[in-house]
Amino acid sequence: MSSPFSINGGACVAMRGKNCVAIACDLRLGLQSLTVSNNFPKIFQYSPTAFLGLTGLATDVSTVSELFRYKVNMYRLREERDIAPKTFAQLVSSSLYERRFGPWFVSPVVAGIDGKSGAPFICGFDSIGCIDYAADFIVSGTASDQLFGTCEGLWEPDLEPDDLFETISQALLNAVDRDALSGWGAHVYIIEKDKVTKRLLKGRQD
Amino acid sequence: MAALSHHHLSSTAPFAFQQAPPQNHSGEPTQHAFYPYTDNGGSTLGISGKTFTVIAGDTRSTSGYNINTRYAPKLYPIGGQGPTHKGSKIVLSVVGFAADGRALQERLDTVVKMYRYQHGCEISVKACAQRLSHILYNKRFFPYYVQAILGGIDEETGEGALYSYDPVGSYEREYCRAAGAAASLIMPFLDNQVNLKNQYEPAAVSGFDKKQLVPQPLERPQVEELVRDAFTSAVERHIEVGDGLQMMFITKEGIEEVYFPLKKD
Amino acid sequence: MADRYSFSLTTFSPSGKLVQIEYALNAVNQGVTSLGIKAANGIVLATEKKSSTPLIDPASSSKISLITPNIGMVYSGMGPDYRVLVDKARKVSHTGYKRIYNEYPPTRILVQDVARVMQEATQSGGVRPYGVSLLIAGYDEGIEPEQQNAKPAGAEETAVDDSAEDRKKTTGKTGGILKGGPSLYQVDPSGSYFPWKATAIGKSATSAKTFLEKRYTEGLELEDAVHIALLTLKETIEGEMNGETVEIGIVGPPANHLLGYEGVEGAQGPRFRKLSPQEIEDYLTNL
Repeated sequence: MSSPFSINGGACVAMRGKNCVAIACDLRLGLQSLTVSNNFPKIFQYSPTAFLGLTGLATDVSTVSELFRYKVNMYRLREERDIAPKTFAQLVSSSLYERRFGPWFVSPVVAGIDGKSGAPFICGFDSIGCIDYAADFIVSGTASDQLFGTCEGLWEPDLEPDDLFETISQALLNAVDRDALSGWGAHVYIIEKDKVTKRLLKGRQD
Repeated sequence: MAALSHHHLSSTAPFAFQQAPPQNHSGEPTQHAFYPYTDNGGSTLGISGKTFTVIAGDTRSTSGYNINTRYAPKLYPIGGQGPTHKGSKIVLSVVGFAADGRALQERLDTVVKMYRYQHGCEISVKACAQRLSHILYNKRFFPYYVQAILGGIDEETGEGALYSYDPVGSYEREYCRAAGAAASLIMPFLDNQVNLKNQYEPAAVSGFDKKQLVPQPLERPQVEELVRDAFTSAVERHIEVGDGLQMMFITKEGIEEVYFPLKKD
Repeated sequence: MADRYSFSLTTFSPSGKLVQIEYALNAVNQGVTSLGIKAANGIVLATEKKSSTPLIDPASSSKISLITPNIGMVYSGMGPDYRVLVDKARKVSHTGYKRIYNEYPPTRILVQDVARVMQEATQSGGVRPYGVSLLIAGYDEGIEPEQQNAKPAGAEETAVDDSAEDRKKTTGKTGGILKGGPSLYQVDPSGSYFPWKATAIGKSATSAKTFLEKRYTEGLELEDAVHIALLTLKETIEGEMNGETVEIGIVGPPANHLLGYEGVEGAQGPRFRKLSPQEIEDYLTNL
């Protein structure tokens, strides 16, 4: 209970579809059982098609997201190009490992589409940067057990964007409803090669 | 599977060749503790339908990372005639500490059989459920370390009846319930697929006007598929679940058992 | 007494020059000529390997170096300074890039990193500028979709590409980070750098460049570029021309035979490699 990863609560999930990826998070911010805010998004955009989801200690979520904002801005200025999701994932990994013995208490998730090949890409990390490449889905946060169950039960290969949206939404909503530390609405991003759709889900407000 | 665990406060070995008892650094004697419970892993679930109830459980038994056996049923028919429980229409599933589960099953089975000798009729599920709660609460301060699910047929309506318990006897009648190691994985899936949680009528009404889909009692083939899906999913992501899936379908005709192999890795 | 505290050798002269840099350029202009030519499908770097005595073992000295699997470098000027820069370039390509992004730096990024090292030597205390100019050749995979590269080789770029009207308008640039392809840079002791289609540095740079201007055509093939490189070198070379006295490095198609293993899907060999004396001899016989 006093683990830094479960003080504030929160959940995030990314899924691969056919020529598309989806990433979604809940909106709750809490202090143990006390809900402080119901508008704390955990997904951040770093290029037209590269997204990062961060769950864990809220102060680290904010700090790390801003750290990557700085790093990616510097990358874009130096290289005059947007960072590719795969490259961004490596940047996340090396940045987390830099703090090997005093880690950021976050469980990041990267989702995006490669600008060159159009290939969908998702991956997750532990708090010190070990990358988990997955062909299907990545979950993180205090509802990760529940998300594993719903994703494993609902996900199927080659979902079209609309079906992927329905799948990831149901997976997240039903998972956070069984986790007291997550919920209070959700953000869902559907990422296609040259289109990103963001939707707000109301969800249970308890 | 009771474990006698030694909590060494000293860095010396728990055995000694010298006369004096082993000492820790603070000079106090080494303490030993007895912890009588083990978690044998595994998962169970139950779903009640219009005319039946299904209780399911995997057949793996573990202690820690060790697999004790790949076939240790967690599902027990209760009552009926003789050691084969012939004619029984109640199933108890227990997950947690297998020895306690077994002891609980014996107690409930005896009670249910005694009931028939004394009253000359089969016990109702409702009464059996109440009785199970009392058995659990009787050991309020040295509990049976189990999560129990009891399934049968409601005599009044003919519908499936399903009851779930915590280790000390709190219980509730439900339409579906997952218990055990992978309960946190399976339960939200069941919420969604059985109770249709977070699913709304597709008439595109948004906001406060949207209408929750009303759960309808499921047919047996649908339920069987859901149970299999739930367990194959749990097997993928939980190391304590696997090997085999045992399902018991309880109808007014009796109990039908179905076995379905699961991944053994 | 001011100079008691001025450790920097590179101090502005009243006329606004940094004479130490000019001296460094003088060192470059006394150095052996090196040249580079960018082709449509690769780059060639070439230089003369001069030795003052026949007793030297030519195989054990080398002027063209691999920096990353897709980037190579050659110099004119002071050999020892060059070796230091090669070490630093190789190091910075890892510490400043590969260990962060798990991929090798694009050519321009590496050029900028090397240029920074050279610039810092013009503004730091206790050091002198590097007495070398470099030619850095590299190949980038690019991040834009393939279709833009699918044009026939050598075709003139048009301002509007109808197959990708909603994309940013294509520039006349060849190579680079976005589109990918070969690029060739020169870096000077001042730390300034220039992209070239073809150029030369060192003793006979001026005449070599005049020669290259005459010989260079758009959409050149790598094989032709090697040919032109040797012809240019021939104009300026002082001694005999053979596989032992000429050094050539090319950036071309992935050399999977240099990988050291096979059977790994997606593995790509280095694009930069040095030609063996035998390969150079073969080119020379066909000259």
